[in-house]
Amino acid sequence: MIQLILFLAVGALLLSSLFLFAGRLVQPKAGEKEIFDARRALSSLRTELLQPDIVARIFATEDLDYVNSSTSEEIRRMFLAERKRVALLWVRYLRRNILSLRRFHLGSVRHHAQLRFRTEVTLAVEFAILLFACRALEIILWIRGPYVAPKIVRAATAGAARVCEISERSLGFFGPGSATPLGKPSAGNHATL
Amino acid sequence: MDVEDAAQDLRRRTLAKFERPLDRLIYLSSMRDYNSGVYYHDGLAASFTEDVACQAISECHSEAFRDLLGSSLKELVSQLEGYLSATRTSPAVFLTVWKRLEPYRVAVPVGTDTLSSELLFSNLKVAMAILEENLTSRSTGQQAA
Repeated sequence: MIQLILFLAVGALLLSSLFLFAGRLVQPKAGEKEIFDARRALSSLRTELLQPDIVARIFATEDLDYVNSSTSEEIRRMFLAERKRVALLWVRYLRRNILSLRRFHLGSVRHHAQLRFRTEVTLAVEFAILLFACRALEIILWIRGPYVAPKIVRAATAGAARVCEISERSLGFFGPGSATPLGKPSAGNHATL
Repeated sequence: MDVEDAAQDLRRRTLAKFERPLDRLIYLSSMRDYNSGVYYHDGLAASFTEDVACQAISECHSEAFRDLLGSSLKELVSQLEGYLSATRTSPAVFLTVWKRLEPYRVAVPVGTDTLSSELLFSNLKVAMAILEENLTSRSTGQQAA
């Protein structure tokens, strides 16, 4: 009888341990997707969209000068259309990645990273201005082409670089995953025009 | 360290012959198996290992891509013209085939981001149009003379 009670007790203990363990396994980890998306967005921004040479090449006026001075009107139109397409692609990717970082900050970081109120407000304002700048830039690029708003391009890249820095610090809180998974250097990648 | 040594070896012995990044890009991409994405170079593999040779070629390929991407439109037109001369193909045939098949699309390294690829493809497209215009105007000028 005592043996049976002991067996039942051990069995109950094992069963409850199993339930506890299984519960931990299936319990969704809050903000995991946001963290993954944010890391990918950060990597994309650092290694592609904010790379100074790429930004400089897209908006390089030397190419426009060359086309203006050495080619026909037909080629000029073709060049402007192509450059506009690439510039629009750039700003759309930039906006998409910024939105991804904002989602991460809105969703996860508040619960985990415990940002100071002042930093949160600064970041919220930064995101709002940046997203507005991206949208404005998109409209300008669409209407007037890639060479009329170099200041907005500079402002957008500088703002994105600042947001990247803050996000990188926040993502660092989330443990072993690198904020720049492709292994590219994360410092000094700010685009300058 | 081995990979860097192999890359240096490749740059010194083989790539030094190719002055233009466009030539280097096309040459290096031709060493890649289309199905596996693995680069092969018997000489380099014999001096190092197949794996090291593959990594070294991949590194040089990315380098060539970056160099080409950083080229201005004017430089790109000049590189295209140089490459065209080196192939000894008729300019008309070369331009027609390149415009139709766009062979440069399969010459980019694996893992290249979309924006960089699109920027290069776009620049090459415009550069080809400029080159075609230049060649046409030169041949018209010669005929008139």
